Amino acid sequence: MDLTFLLMTLLKIVLICFVFAMILGAILTWGERKLSAVVQDRIGPNRASILGVTALGLMHPIADMLKAFTKEDFVPAGANRFLFAMAPMLAMVPPLVVFAVVPFGPGPDFVIAPLDTGVLFIFAIGGMGIYGATLGGWSSNNSFALLGSLRAAAQMISYEVSMGLNLVGIFMIFGTVSLSNIVLGQGQLLWGWLPMWGIVVQPVAFILFMTASMAENKRAPFDLPEGESEILGYNLEYSSMRFALFFLSEFVEIVVIAAMAATLFFGGWQIPWVDPQGTAGGWITVGQVAAFVGKVVFLCWVQLIIRWTLPRFRYDQVMALGWKYLLPLSLLNIVATAVVLAML
Amino acid sequence: MPTLKIDGREITVKDGTRVIEAADALGIPIPRFCYHPGLPVAANCRMCLVETNRAPKPVPSCHDFCGDGMEVQTATEKVIEARRAVLEYILLNHPVDCPTCDQAGECDLQDQYFEYDHKPSRHAFRKAHKPKARAIGPRVVYDAERCINCTRCVRFCEDIAGAPQLRQIQRGEKAYIDVFPGTELDNPYSMCAADVCPVGALTVRDFRFKCRVWFMKGTQSVCGECSRGCSVRVDTYKNEVQRIVPRHNPNVNQYWACDAGRTAFHSFDEGRLEAARVRGRDTDFDQALDQFAHDLEEALGKGLTPAVILSPFMTCEDAFAAISLFKTKAPGAVYSIGGREDGEADEVLIRADRNPNRAGLKMILDSFGIETAPIKTLHEAAHPVVIAFGYEFEERNYAKMAVQAAQLSAVFASMDVIGDVETYAFPAVSPYETYGTWVNEFGVIQRVRPAVKAPEAAKQARRFIADLAERLGAPLGDASLVGIFGLMTEEIEEFKGLELDAVGPFGIKLWEDAADVEAETDAGGDEAEPEEAAKESGESNKTDSAEEA
Amino acid sequence: MGKLVDRPEPDVMIQSYLPEVWNGMKRVSKHFFANLLMKKGYVTIQYPEQKIDYAPRFRGNHRLMHREDGTVRCVACFLCSTACPADCISIVAGETDNRDVEKAPVKFEIDHLRCIFCGFCEEACPCDAIRLDSGEHRVPAFTRKDEMSGKEDLLSRGGPSISKQGGEFK
Repeated sequence: MDLTFLLMTLLKIVLICFVFAMILGAILTWGERKLSAVVQDRIGPNRASILGVTALGLMHPIADMLKAFTKEDFVPAGANRFLFAMAPMLAMVPPLVVFAVVPFGPGPDFVIAPLDTGVLFIFAIGGMGIYGATLGGWSSNNSFALLGSLRAAAQMISYEVSMGLNLVGIFMIFGTVSLSNIVLGQGQLLWGWLPMWGIVVQPVAFILFMTASMAENKRAPFDLPEGESEILGYNLEYSSMRFALFFLSEFVEIVVIAAMAATLFFGGWQIPWVDPQGTAGGWITVGQVAAFVGKVVFLCWVQLIIRWTLPRFRYDQVMALGWKYLLPLSLLNIVATAVVLAML
Repeated sequence: MPTLKIDGREITVKDGTRVIEAADALGIPIPRFCYHPGLPVAANCRMCLVETNRAPKPVPSCHDFCGDGMEVQTATEKVIEARRAVLEYILLNHPVDCPTCDQAGECDLQDQYFEYDHKPSRHAFRKAHKPKARAIGPRVVYDAERCINCTRCVRFCEDIAGAPQLRQIQRGEKAYIDVFPGTELDNPYSMCAADVCPVGALTVRDFRFKCRVWFMKGTQSVCGECSRGCSVRVDTYKNEVQRIVPRHNPNVNQYWACDAGRTAFHSFDEGRLEAARVRGRDTDFDQALDQFAHDLEEALGKGLTPAVILSPFMTCEDAFAAISLFKTKAPGAVYSIGGREDGEADEVLIRADRNPNRAGLKMILDSFGIETAPIKTLHEAAHPVVIAFGYEFEERNYAKMAVQAAQLSAVFASMDVIGDVETYAFPAVSPYETYGTWVNEFGVIQRVRPAVKAPEAAKQARRFIADLAERLGAPLGDASLVGIFGLMTEEIEEFKGLELDAVGPFGIKLWEDAADVEAETDAGGDEAEPEEAAKESGESNKTDSAEEA
Repeated sequence: MGKLVDRPEPDVMIQSYLPEVWNGMKRVSKHFFANLLMKKGYVTIQYPEQKIDYAPRFRGNHRLMHREDGTVRCVACFLCSTACPADCISIVAGETDNRDVEKAPVKFEIDHLRCIFCGFCEEACPCDAIRLDSGEHRVPAFTRKDEMSGKEDLLSRGGPSISKQGGEFK
């Protein structure tokens, strides 16, 4: 392992995790507020300014962060202080680690760790996100927080099952679990003109995947673990930057979901009919990276729109949806894919 | 014994009964301004006009005597029209300054306007102007514009207070009430002149602009300024005594009370003992009591006999509890009665003894067979242990000297009057915060009720005694008001067969003696009122049992 | 008999939920792009800079009216505090040099933390002394003490009243 490789990897980690994911997550906190305002015919955040520059309210994430840092860091009496401190970190780290295997562009240079087990790594790390919510609620010594964490645990485990099964169809079609290879596979053309993107060959899986992953992210319409109107949720006792970490992790997860959906269903860095092998280099590669970022931003926007369109489910409806509809549908999807593949 | 019919209802009354009194006895309402059951009749307001079969025109019912076979109609069209006309005439020059008038809310003129007239004024000219807000006495202020010239106040001063200081002067619309030049309305009952005023012409200076009457809560209690023990109603607002007004009681004070008793409440909140004190240092009540009980037990163990100074402001129950405790724990104890020194008596209400319950204390001490030592020479014996009770001690009080001479002393008082000479001081409730009974000089037992909430640290004497008894190992048992009263009815001759709930608004006369001939019940017209008063007291009775439960 | 509301059974398309999600997202996106591109249709105003005019009957900050000589019209009759359902008016009455009325408030305090701006005090007032027609919105304060309006504060918002005190022929 030479020094250049180490430095390059570190640079990629900084660029992808901290510059791309975190900043996009921070901007999404503003984006969510601004978007909700715009769809409701309001103006939204436009007040925070630096030297009189408001930049459409883009200074708000900075103001929010400063506020979170200067607030009282409160730990309730009787809380498990160690786990209470650990929980926000456990919530924040997994979505960042997931980016290790996401290919931002063609070739091994645009991915931190081009693992062959790609998607399996994502599931393994993503599954750890449950700990943040569960331990956070449990260690708070508050019954409402505990209820929230119980809901979070049950919901996340339920949807993880169907989320994994959804992608089995993709694996079957492209014959790999490596994300880089899946993206390359999506460069092929069907009948000589249609890009073989995941959404084209697995449309049902895409809808099921988006549903399951949004439920996994605990956001509206699946925000029962937070349930502001009834139990306040697992982060009830958190304040200051610890709360902000929970909050930010949610937005980074939006980026993770968008990145995964873009990679698996929208051809990753592929631009249709242009350089499907990713060997061109030069401006075409830049364009391919830009295409990936653009797809991620678009899918983030779709998630925000869904969040401001749909009302909340009841908790029993959430569980019923997960086990009675999503799981059988993903199984059916696998069977159908297998049948089609066998017939071809 | 004439029998007459009022509005078709038959009633037989004593000779010399006025028609209005018979109607009151039947509960038939007849409006009135100048008539007052405690005053001679003047019949000048004409508000009480009724129709009878004896006269072609309506007659004033407060003036006409009942006759056999009389038929009285109180609600015919003619009568109602007459009342309306009288009221319109009375209101002709009235300034209608109810917003600034202290009487508003308990004003007969207001009530009867809404009841019998309820029409806008037809008077389109300048109203008569007369003296306003004149302080005609040290305790009373007079507004001639509001005056309806009923002369109740004039008759009161002349016939009840025995001080003919007021007169009606001028005539017609210029008529008003005034004192003689160079004199003041300063008799010791002058505030009652303001009470009898049916409108806001005479108002009490002490109460002027202090509180609107409809905000106040009335508590039926007893005045403690002298051994007459006048029945009073203590009006409070926001846990503060606002004024004291006499309450009708044919056994004790008729309708009246003296000015001194009605303004006495001002001094009871000054210089309160705020917290329990041990040798000059503020301490927690229970802690101080623990220490005192320990010290007392030690002293009693050494064979020292305590001197107990009782206060004639104590209720019978408090005194009974104290004596029963010391009777068992210190059989040789010396008892004495403190209290305020005698003043001057007059022929109306005020008695020389300025303490409310001396008779009750004597009765209880007699039943225990105890001879009291005179308070004036108590300090000469230099008792080593002195326990003094009392809502107050006067400055020249000998109790202080006795306390000073003692090695171990405890004072249980509402006011901080002894200074720092005592070993233990415990805060007590004032007479306006106490539950119990007082017996007046003439043997009428009446209930004292708390009008305001006591400060947090202050305790009622019998609670203090009960706590002390528990620490001394001789518990009293049921230390509630009802419980101790029950014990008293067993122990004390005069109390035999009494029940606490039976002590109504008029009290109960425990014995007859020669001195109370003047307090003989007033004839007729009052029969309806005991019930009414009992109804009023119903609410306070309810709170009593809540406290005692 | 109440009115029967027609509630059709949701058909398969609605029950399958996805088409309705799509319709909803279409509606939300329409607003999004319309507002993003054409900049119209905002219903909100920029509050501290822009303010809407209150209706003439708006009940805002209390004020105490003046007599011709500038003294307070209130005669401390306590009718407002009697009528007040929130018990927010505390008055201490005292003598005044004006012999026509004798009585005036020494203290007149409104506890805005309790006040519900119902206007009963205004209705009860026999002297047209207290009014809620200042047109000012009650501004929140940082301390409880700042939420108490004293006599001077209330008088500073007041003005002369056109109604005659004490009737026509005074």
